[in-house]
Amino acid sequence: MTRWGMVIDLDRCTACGTCEVACKSENNIATVSPEQADMDRTMSWMKVEVEVEGEFPATTMRFYPRPCMQCDNPPCIRVCPVKATYINDEGIVGQIYARCIGCRYCANACPYTVKYFNWYGPEWPESERQHLNPDVSVRPRGVIEKCTFCHHRLQKAREDARAEGRDLREEDYQPACAETCPTGAIVFGDLDNPTHRVAELKEDPRAMRLLEDLGTEPKVYYLASRQ
Amino acid sequence: MQTLYHPERIAAPLVRTGPRGSGQWKEVPREQAITQLSERLGELRASGRPESLALLAGYCAGTMRDVWHQFMQAFGSPNYVADEYADGTDAIMEVMHGMRRRPGYDLERSEIVLSFGAPLFESWWSPLQAFVAFADPERPNGRRPHFVQVDTRFSRTAARSHEWVAVRSGTHAVLALGIAYVLIRDALYDAQFVAEHVAGFEDFTDEQGRLRAGYRSLVSSNYRTEEVSVITGVPVERISSLARAFSRGRPPVAVCGEEIMRAPNGLLAGLAVHSLNLLMGSVNRPGTVLFGDAPPLEPLAEPVLDPTARAGLERVPVADGAARFGTGSPELPFAERVAAGSEGTVGALLLYYANPLASSARPEVWRDALEKIPFVVSFSPFLDETTHHADMVLPDLLPYERWQDAPTPRSYPYPVWSVNRPLVEPPEGGTHTADVLLAIATNLGGSVAQSLPYEAFDALLKTRAQGLYAARRGTVFGSEFEREHHRQMEQRGWWLPMHTDFEAFWRELVERGGWTDLYYDDTDPGNLSATPDGRIHLFPPGLLDALQVEAREPYIDVAPPATAETDDYPLQLIPYRLSTLASGTLSLQRWLAERPSLFPEVYWHPWVEVNPVTADELGLQDDARIRVVSDSGRYEARVKVFPGAAPGSVSAPYGLRHPDGAVASPLQLLDGTVDPLTGLQSWFSTRVRVEGV
Amino acid sequence: MKREVAEKLEGMSADERILLRPLVETSRGFYVMAGLLGAVTLWGLFAYYLQVRYGLGRTGLNRPEYWGIYIISFVFFIGISHAGTLISAILRVSNAEWRRSITRSAELITVLVIGFGAIQPIIDLGRPDRLFNVLFNAQLRSPLLWDVISIGLYFTASSIYLYVPLIPDLARIRDSGIKAPRLYKFLAAGYQDTPEQRARLHKVIGILSIAVIPIAISVHTVIGWIFAMTLRPMWHSTIFGPYFVIGAIHSGIAAILVAMVVLRRAYHLEDYFKPVHFDYLGRMLLVFSLLWFYFTFAEYLTVFYGAEPAEMRTFWAKVSGRYAVPFWTMVAGCFLIPFALMARRSTRSPPGVLVAGIAVMIGMWLERYNIVVPTSVNPIWEIESPGQYLPSWIELSIMAATFSGFILLYMVATKFVPIISIWEIEEGREESAEVAERVAGYLPEPYRKLLDFRAIGDE
Repeated sequence: MTRWGMVIDLDRCTACGTCEVACKSENNIATVSPEQADMDRTMSWMKVEVEVEGEFPATTMRFYPRPCMQCDNPPCIRVCPVKATYINDEGIVGQIYARCIGCRYCANACPYTVKYFNWYGPEWPESERQHLNPDVSVRPRGVIEKCTFCHHRLQKAREDARAEGRDLREEDYQPACAETCPTGAIVFGDLDNPTHRVAELKEDPRAMRLLEDLGTEPKVYYLASRQ
Repeated sequence: MQTLYHPERIAAPLVRTGPRGSGQWKEVPREQAITQLSERLGELRASGRPESLALLAGYCAGTMRDVWHQFMQAFGSPNYVADEYADGTDAIMEVMHGMRRRPGYDLERSEIVLSFGAPLFESWWSPLQAFVAFADPERPNGRRPHFVQVDTRFSRTAARSHEWVAVRSGTHAVLALGIAYVLIRDALYDAQFVAEHVAGFEDFTDEQGRLRAGYRSLVSSNYRTEEVSVITGVPVERISSLARAFSRGRPPVAVCGEEIMRAPNGLLAGLAVHSLNLLMGSVNRPGTVLFGDAPPLEPLAEPVLDPTARAGLERVPVADGAARFGTGSPELPFAERVAAGSEGTVGALLLYYANPLASSARPEVWRDALEKIPFVVSFSPFLDETTHHADMVLPDLLPYERWQDAPTPRSYPYPVWSVNRPLVEPPEGGTHTADVLLAIATNLGGSVAQSLPYEAFDALLKTRAQGLYAARRGTVFGSEFEREHHRQMEQRGWWLPMHTDFEAFWRELVERGGWTDLYYDDTDPGNLSATPDGRIHLFPPGLLDALQVEAREPYIDVAPPATAETDDYPLQLIPYRLSTLASGTLSLQRWLAERPSLFPEVYWHPWVEVNPVTADELGLQDDARIRVVSDSGRYEARVKVFPGAAPGSVSAPYGLRHPDGAVASPLQLLDGTVDPLTGLQSWFSTRVRVEGV
Repeated sequence: MKREVAEKLEGMSADERILLRPLVETSRGFYVMAGLLGAVTLWGLFAYYLQVRYGLGRTGLNRPEYWGIYIISFVFFIGISHAGTLISAILRVSNAEWRRSITRSAELITVLVIGFGAIQPIIDLGRPDRLFNVLFNAQLRSPLLWDVISIGLYFTASSIYLYVPLIPDLARIRDSGIKAPRLYKFLAAGYQDTPEQRARLHKVIGILSIAVIPIAISVHTVIGWIFAMTLRPMWHSTIFGPYFVIGAIHSGIAAILVAMVVLRRAYHLEDYFKPVHFDYLGRMLLVFSLLWFYFTFAEYLTVFYGAEPAEMRTFWAKVSGRYAVPFWTMVAGCFLIPFALMARRSTRSPPGVLVAGIAVMIGMWLERYNIVVPTSVNPIWEIESPGQYLPSWIELSIMAATFSGFILLYMVATKFVPIISIWEIEEGREESAEVAERVAGYLPEPYRKLLDFRAIGDE
């Protein structure tokens, strides 16, 4: 059984933010205006969350690159009235933009707040439409969107592999964030495939998942020496 | 990519039709623009005043820079004003090692990296190099270097480093010498290395015959741990444990950052920091300071100088009076001279990736200067503030559209040459600046044409690559295995040619993107020092001369005078560069402008960081809109209450703009103090206050 | 009013005269009020147009505050709908005679308010044009789908439950000829008030009364479950189902009380809305305020004892933090004021219940606000920073328009149907003797004779 998952090594993450930008570039995620940003409406499927604690000079700052957790037991899919969000048999929690009615119930159900809503339609200046990724649909106003583990890359990788008459290799399907991370802190692969790095890394003693006690079974693991 | 497809990108040459700054332009065909420019420049030469051509070059590196130099030389103008990112570490190397170049740091193979204010994971020379060293170094035992960050504020580098040592502003060098004190006292330093390679450790007689206290005596008498602790604010035990950890590193390396150098005693502070490397023999060994050579590219031919050129080059450059050990930031003295002088001192100004009306510390001086210059040409592909006031624009192509090369990031100890070819069709009227220069050289004819006899930039790059091919070392970019294979071969004195001929080599070079040589010969003593006596000088004679005038002493005057807190200006301004600043086009790239930093929840608007205790005292709320005011300037920003900011200070990121495009630059608030030895502006001696808006 | 109509009216019984007068006579005050409410409603429609044109970005909603005014209004209005049907059904089933003047106005509230409530989630949708996906792609696992079903059922059942007891009065109006004969002929559906028809009517009403109760309870239980089936702190609670039902009935009673006070004054119905009605309904309000307090206290005490970090963030936000004012105002409105006023007989009067009713309605609206907003702005994962919610003028306009539209339609409805059930009042008068016997029959045998009214009356 294939289960796509991710392991993010927080001890290697340097908080450079490249994963955020790569995700936006790959998935045609629009920026919002300064006024909209002030209203907490920015969209970042992959977002590096920052936690600041302590007092000067004993301060700490911890960085958590946070994609969609792609839960095996997703609370979001159960509440969608039109089944616009669903989980496929490889564990990817998908979103059907054409069907979503924008009720935002799934967004409320998600304990990780990874669902983003298009409050306005995204606006792309004419010239910038040239750099939109043709493999990813641009979402209209009024629908929910979220990280898909760059699922479009999987489809492409499968087609390529089939055309070349070979199996899919670990490096063939990597989401934009994993591909671009300069320190290799984000590792991606099939959690159930013993030859993939993620299968081994998830058994690391440092491995943990966010809000594990909620029973959502997220497929994104974090390696951290400090909890 | 957002720059590449930006809707406001200029796609064809423009000539001004209305008054300057009115925004009235008309497009002209490429050839016409080049001809027009060639004519104007030709006139300057013909009038016998080639030195009245000035070039203000911002981000200019690699072969482009060589071409510009060649052009200016052959043209006959000494006025190449480099408006670049200078961190002053080259001055340290010049005085101590006799080599004027920035040091390379082999971080990957260090065991402990003690960084004094160097933003390794942010706006450093090569943050990527630091990332790899931090997370994924190619070490045999798989252990990663231990990173210790000495910084006034809790930067992102400090947050990700293994340890952060908070020091009071400007006292980094004091801490360094405090560590040196422990190393000396407990005999933890590499005595053999010091005895063989370092001069000035013991008391000595200087060139005037006077007996001077050496490093050992100076440090031992002045940097006792308790005193250092009081000055820096670092606890006594921490200083000792840092020293001990540093000494145990196999090897340790101390990195000197820009912050150290941007102080009135910058150079002396830098000497103090680098002296730690000398104490531990951390030079020219794996994991330490390495002076790798530049890639052995075929150099451009000697410029051919005709009498006009020769005469021009002898005249005094406009931005003269550079400091003894550095050029500092020549853009401001240049602008001041021009503004104060008569019209026509500079007959023509070329702007290459320089936008002084936004980035200068005193943009109003530049406004005055521009009025005195009759002809201004910009090569910027965007109508930035300064380009707006130009007479002509020949927009350069954007990175994916042009041939370009990039030199080694100077912090990286191995030579690297990367070359990129165009991936995207450039616009019809697009003008690659290098090709423009070559065309102008041809048009000007004579010695200028002879100095740049290349038909196109890619032809020039190919010619240069021949040097790499002929050098018979290194390898084209390849897999980890290929790189390691070549390194091991070269270590044993072997090198295998991988290509049948130069054409094959060039093809693969372009395909793979570049060349590197990962072998560093650490047995070569020439890499240690190039001073006359072959030793590394703790008390460089040239420096002592210069200091005599000012009655300052090395290793004594390493901290800046404390700036007095006044009622008007109670807070200290601490500027810092953002990692997203890069080429200054942050505001053009909306993904970056939306979230310019991973500082929590800052979007679009410039901000400053204030400690919660300080914020309470001043009655400042998080996200409040305020104005930061100094004696020299002011700008608006939002407050972010952040416990990592030192109390009593305002940490101000540099490089941001407001959503409407207005520049929000703390550098325009600086008080203008410089280090007289390097010319670098002091960043941390300015005091400010914060007002509500 | 025309002379002939006036004459006809004079010829009718006292009940008819008073109760049918509003159908033919409209005061100036009515027109002024209707004009005002109409203007507000139109303004709200304009606001909605802007929202549809430009997007939900025109609201104050954001991430993580995804649900705001519209959902609050949705829960609030559907809550009030428990007034009519539930109260009138329960009172019918238990044969409480004092219900006779109340049932019609209560049932009318229900039907109208369900309509206005049910459109709120549609207004809240990001893609209202895809509304029918709910039918074509229905996922029955989703509590929102359960909601669609139960509200649909409730609306249908309540409409029938309003219409059927209305038929005799419609027939009466048809026969009297005082207004739009053709319309009422159509509406009365051929009812001639024959004994069989009357018997059948009673049977249907009886069945409906029983059937509508579980439907009504399911509606608000399901609405509570929309919240409770998520993992959000202070939403994920097992008592939300019953809690919402209790709260809904509470607000429903308050709504009826307010309506009664206003109608009594506007149409001079002092004889029909007597002190006893306010007394009894007031006591019900008292009981429900105590029940509401019990459920709320249980909920908050449990959360407090659990001390689960995410829940405590929301808890403190409500009790002493940013949402303390709405929270304690809610407690005052839902419990303290109605308790204080309804506990004393002297204040179970029209002025008293008016104040208490309005207080409860405000308190219950705030309760919905306190459920939706503080939880939404405090994400479970503590590293996400808390959000904020400032409703935009569009949301407030649409909410105002919902209120004004509802009141307007209610007012207009009183011009077409008698707001008190005429035939049931008459029936009550006819049956009062039987009722007396029935009541006497509750007591043991020896006492019956003493209470033999008929005997006394005959003498």
